[in-house]
Amino acid sequence: MNFDLSEEQQVIADLAAQLFGDLATTERVKAAEQGDGIDRELWASIAEAGLLALSLPESAGGSGMGLVELCLVAQQIGRTVAPVPFTSTTVAAMTLAEHGVGTDLLPGVADGSVILASALAETGANDPLAPSVIATRSGDGAVRLVGEKPAVPALPLATAVLVPAMLDGATILALVDLSTATAGVEITPLKTTSRESQGHLTLDVDVPASHVIDDDAALEQLFLRSIAALSAVQLGVGEGSVAMAAEHVSNRQQFGRPLSAFQAVSQRAADAYIFNEAIRSTVYNAAWQLENEPGDKARADTLAAAYWSSEGTEKVVLAAQHLHGGVGADIEYPVHRYFQWGMQNATALGTATSHLVRLGDQLATR
Amino acid sequence: MDISDTPEEAAFRAEARAWLDEHATPRGQSTEEPDLGDHVQRARDWQRTLHEHGWAGLSWPEEFGGRGLPGAFATVFAEEMAGFEETTGSLTVSLGMVAPTLMAHGTPEQQEHIAKMLRGEELWCQLFSEPGAGSDLATLGTRAERDGDVWVVNGQKVWTSLAQFADYGILLARTDPDLPKHTGISYFIVDMNDPGIEIRPLVQMTGQAHFNETFLTDVRIPAENMVGGVGEGWSVARTTLTSERSSIAGGNSGWSVETLIEEARARGRCDDPVVRQQLAAAHCRAEVLKVMGYRIRTATSQGRFPGPEALAMKLGYARHWVASTETAMELLGADATMYDQSEPWQYAFLNQFAIRLGGGTDEVQQNIIGELGLGLPREPSADRGVPWKDLPR
Ligand SMILES: Cc1cc2nc3c(=O)[nH]c(=O)nc-3n(C[C@H](O)[C@H](O)[C@H](O)COP(=O)(O)OP(=O)(O)OC[C@H]3O[C@@H](n4cnc5c(N)ncnc54)[C@H](O)[C@@H]3O)c2cc1C
Repeated sequence: MNFDLSEEQQVIADLAAQLFGDLATTERVKAAEQGDGIDRELWASIAEAGLLALSLPESAGGSGMGLVELCLVAQQIGRTVAPVPFTSTTVAAMTLAEHGVGTDLLPGVADGSVILASALAETGANDPLAPSVIATRSGDGAVRLVGEKPAVPALPLATAVLVPAMLDGATILALVDLSTATAGVEITPLKTTSRESQGHLTLDVDVPASHVIDDDAALEQLFLRSIAALSAVQLGVGEGSVAMAAEHVSNRQQFGRPLSAFQAVSQRAADAYIFNEAIRSTVYNAAWQLENEPGDKARADTLAAAYWSSEGTEKVVLAAQHLHGGVGADIEYPVHRYFQWGMQNATALGTATSHLVRLGDQLATR
Repeated sequence: MDISDTPEEAAFRAEARAWLDEHATPRGQSTEEPDLGDHVQRARDWQRTLHEHGWAGLSWPEEFGGRGLPGAFATVFAEEMAGFEETTGSLTVSLGMVAPTLMAHGTPEQQEHIAKMLRGEELWCQLFSEPGAGSDLATLGTRAERDGDVWVVNGQKVWTSLAQFADYGILLARTDPDLPKHTGISYFIVDMNDPGIEIRPLVQMTGQAHFNETFLTDVRIPAENMVGGVGEGWSVARTTLTSERSSIAGGNSGWSVETLIEEARARGRCDDPVVRQQLAAAHCRAEVLKVMGYRIRTATSQGRFPGPEALAMKLGYARHWVASTETAMELLGADATMYDQSEPWQYAFLNQFAIRLGGGTDEVQQNIIGELGLGLPREPSADRGVPWKDLPR
């Protein structure tokens, strides 16, 4: 057992920290918020640095690494609230590579010219494993998809979207091409809490057999990887917000002493810090398990990470925001972005409660 | 002990309900969210309507234009009002904080404002907090210097809610820097149209610029606009702050456990046992606040000071707010991540800091409860007795 990062992994973590630290400045983040929710210059830079190709197989021009490495980058994205569709694109790309579907898109993923989306969220109780889109066979392995998907990250920017659907009582993933306007594919851009680019997808469209992943296990795999990656983003969000709060309470004086001298303040900050450590531990454990020993344990461990990164990060960003007092309530001050990201990610692919319900089902029926 | 309405209260409730049915809009009927300016104007209009029909200042003394009814009647009206859209929330500083302060400490001339507030004619803001003086309000440094019949004020206030719409403000300023921090403060009424006042809106996460930075440069305040005597500002301010706590706790939040249950029903989530448990927990929290409210009202109607329950109300309400809006976020599912000012739950969730920070933060409330409720010794402070001008900053 060794929980330390390998030398290679450490290089990636450092590279990502430096790159996002240098480039995802508050001014640039603000500009992306006011634009279409992506910083294209930053996107080009991370492509150039090879970060988009990390987890692609070598056969597709990638570095052949996995989910742990992807999470190292995702963490830095959260830490700097960097507006780039990294997790959305790279997690979907892993699925495509693994199933040999849409592989013509992968070189574009590596060089940054292709953005991918996964339409996991559902209306109502938001259960991504029970897709509401209905697929019917339309001959030769092709399917017709009919339905709607709410809150799809990066959809307005994407070249293609992976859509989970029900086909004859089992789940499939269908890759819907968005590179040209297609009748029966409608995208409505949405305004989100974190200002991340998202869209609502309405489908009534045929997908050729070559773009269908007809494997009932593929959706759960995509879901688990997605929540692991999102949890890594949450880890960074929590770290960034606690660092900002720690600095603020050390500097701001009230009653003739720094706020941090009040134990109510320092203990709340300490709780937030410990939450982050819980999230760090469970997220990297989950990413490693999913990559190296997929199965029931990996599933349970990933749900545990998702629970901590929903429940925990929400508490962390609430604490950091609260400890800033009125200073943080004015959006000229950057801490609110952590709150908005943390809150959005805590519900995006299910809430803490829904992760517990899913995990509880697994534990109780084992 | 009898918790039911007295015959008089029951008759009053029926009368209030009938009037509201005729004059107010049931909740959930209006769809578009007015901008902040419209919202403020609607509060003024509604207050005027209430006043015209005899529903304003129900428990205020008659000498101030009120109806002089026992506090229970105001509660009955508020309970009935909860089912309707109209709100006088933007007038909280005026009606809930300034009016009680002027009733207790104002001169007869100053008290003339009260009738205007009651008619919705005057909107007031609170110029207390400064960049360096939040929880430690008493360190404030805005300076007021005497020049004949006027006080000349210079300094900066911040987080001033609705200053951009206000006619008047209540202002705390330092009149004697040589005295310890609490004793050198005086309390003023300031005309917000004074040319020395500059207001810069600050945008919050809700997308609204509900509060502002307020810069005061050579603002000239006639000496008769001081409330209480020179150096008595802190004790006058305590009346305002106590009133603020109870106003926030009794506030009309635009949501309730009922609306939470309706949301769950509308989204088909009511069969989920986890959701039911969360709804029940919200109900339990709301019950505590409601019944504590009965105790407080009983005490005040018997001429007693309410006990620790009054201190706990604001904190309890803040916690209820946060937990209930978190439940709402759960219910909204994927919609919870949408940013939409017309979505009341999203707005309430993002606006939680107004409740948890404004009027004294949760931790400051806990400190007060520890000291005043439990009798714990005050936190030691190095600045006791030290002239304000000698404080480290
Ligand atoms: C939406 C909103 C509207 C407002 N409207 C008005 C208004 O109209 N007029 C006005 O004058 N002010 C207004 N305020 C200001 C409000 O009163 C202050 O924000 C509040 O008193 C806290 O002060 P601060 O923001 O400086 O936080 P700070 O005092 O800097 O506190 C920061 C953190 O430290 C904690 N802390 C501070 N001291 C202690 C202690 N002794 N023990 C334990 N913890 C402590 C606080 O709880 C908080 O979490 C408003 C604030 C908000 C957010």
